[in-house]
Amino acid sequence: MANSPPTPAATDEELMDAYVDGNEAAFRFLFERYAPILLRLTRRHLRNDELAEEIVQQTFFRLHGARNDFRRGSKLRPWVMTIAMNLVREHWRRTKRRKMTNLEVETQAAPEADFMPLELRQRSELLHVALEKLPSSQREVVELHWFQERPYAEVAQIVGTSEGAVRVRAHRAYATLKQLLVSEIRGDE
Amino acid sequence: MTSGSDRPDAGLGERLRELDAPDASGNGARMNRMFADMKAKCDKSDRTIPGFLRSRSTMARRFIVLSVFSALAFVGWFAFPLVGDHARTVPWTTSLVTFCVLLVLAMFMVTRPVHLPALPRWQSVCLICIALGATVLAAFWPYPAAQAATHDPGGSVMAGACMGVGLLLGIPVYALLRLVDRGNALGSLVAAAAAGLAGNFVLKAHCSVPGTSHELLGHASVALVFVVGLGLVHRWIPSK
Repeated sequence: MANSPPTPAATDEELMDAYVDGNEAAFRFLFERYAPILLRLTRRHLRNDELAEEIVQQTFFRLHGARNDFRRGSKLRPWVMTIAMNLVREHWRRTKRRKMTNLEVETQAAPEADFMPLELRQRSELLHVALEKLPSSQREVVELHWFQERPYAEVAQIVGTSEGAVRVRAHRAYATLKQLLVSEIRGDE
Repeated sequence: MTSGSDRPDAGLGERLRELDAPDASGNGARMNRMFADMKAKCDKSDRTIPGFLRSRSTMARRFIVLSVFSALAFVGWFAFPLVGDHARTVPWTTSLVTFCVLLVLAMFMVTRPVHLPALPRWQSVCLICIALGATVLAAFWPYPAAQAATHDPGGSVMAGACMGVGLLLGIPVYALLRLVDRGNALGSLVAAAAAGLAGNFVLKAHCSVPGTSHELLGHASVALVFVVGLGLVHRWIPSK
């Protein structure tokens, strides 16, 4: 596998196996497959393009360092997601420690908003604010369950808790979000 | 995949979906740049000793650390005189075993694979506190008092020498643990606590100067200096 070029149709695990065996092209395929997903995930959490890029690169850097831990037959996606979520959590812990003000984050947030129509920008802002009001433990469950469409069992594996606890967090998060956005949702109907 | 009943209702779902729109602006060039930067960083890291050690499998990293610890302990145990028979009491043995167990726990924490959810910070903080507490407790559990009273009262003077030796012994342990750490949260402080424990282990096994004040100033202070010193360094100079 090390010398045979990987095909785009190969599964994540086949690509990772090839990469562990020394096939550099497989790493490129994995990056192309996961980087956009991770970029969206981290941008939603951090609302800062540069930071999101850094965390995506750091995720792959760590994946590269941990490649010899990958066992044939295990799933790659929870690996990548866990590394990324660990980095996002670590980032929040550090920024909290450095007492970065919300204002500082807000001024850097959502650069794509400049291209949005005003109404859409306001709606997006409202939704971001609602998501930010969730405790981080609930927000990451919404991220993985809703946006990444991961089943509860896998979310539990990624965040390091039981499936039951993840279900409770998700239920509370969706209830809170609905409450926060209730007027808007009603307005849409 | 998730079942329909697991998902939020349609109204909320519609709103959440708005945030998931992919960003089409300059994706190709951006991805190429990101990949090139990241790959350069990986290649650079692979050429360094820490990069080489960190990219070993977790089992290999643990084996390396345990081998080095065992080799150092083996050489130290037989190459240098241990405390006299009279001092090899139950508290002495208990202290050594406790230091060993805590050292191995610290090693497991530092070498934890990054693809597993990060350990809660309180667990690392607990281990650091227990390590510091164990070294202080060991100082209050020295030779029998009757024997200690007959010994040289200049124990406090010797404390400086013991502290120096303890710090010197802890440095390679700290360096080794940092070399195999892939970037766990609080990894530096856990490694500092492990270095303090290693220093205390050697001092407890070999130092024949008795007395609580000597052990507090010369032995327990080693762990404290490592943890507080490196904690302050990391606070002032945060890692990237």
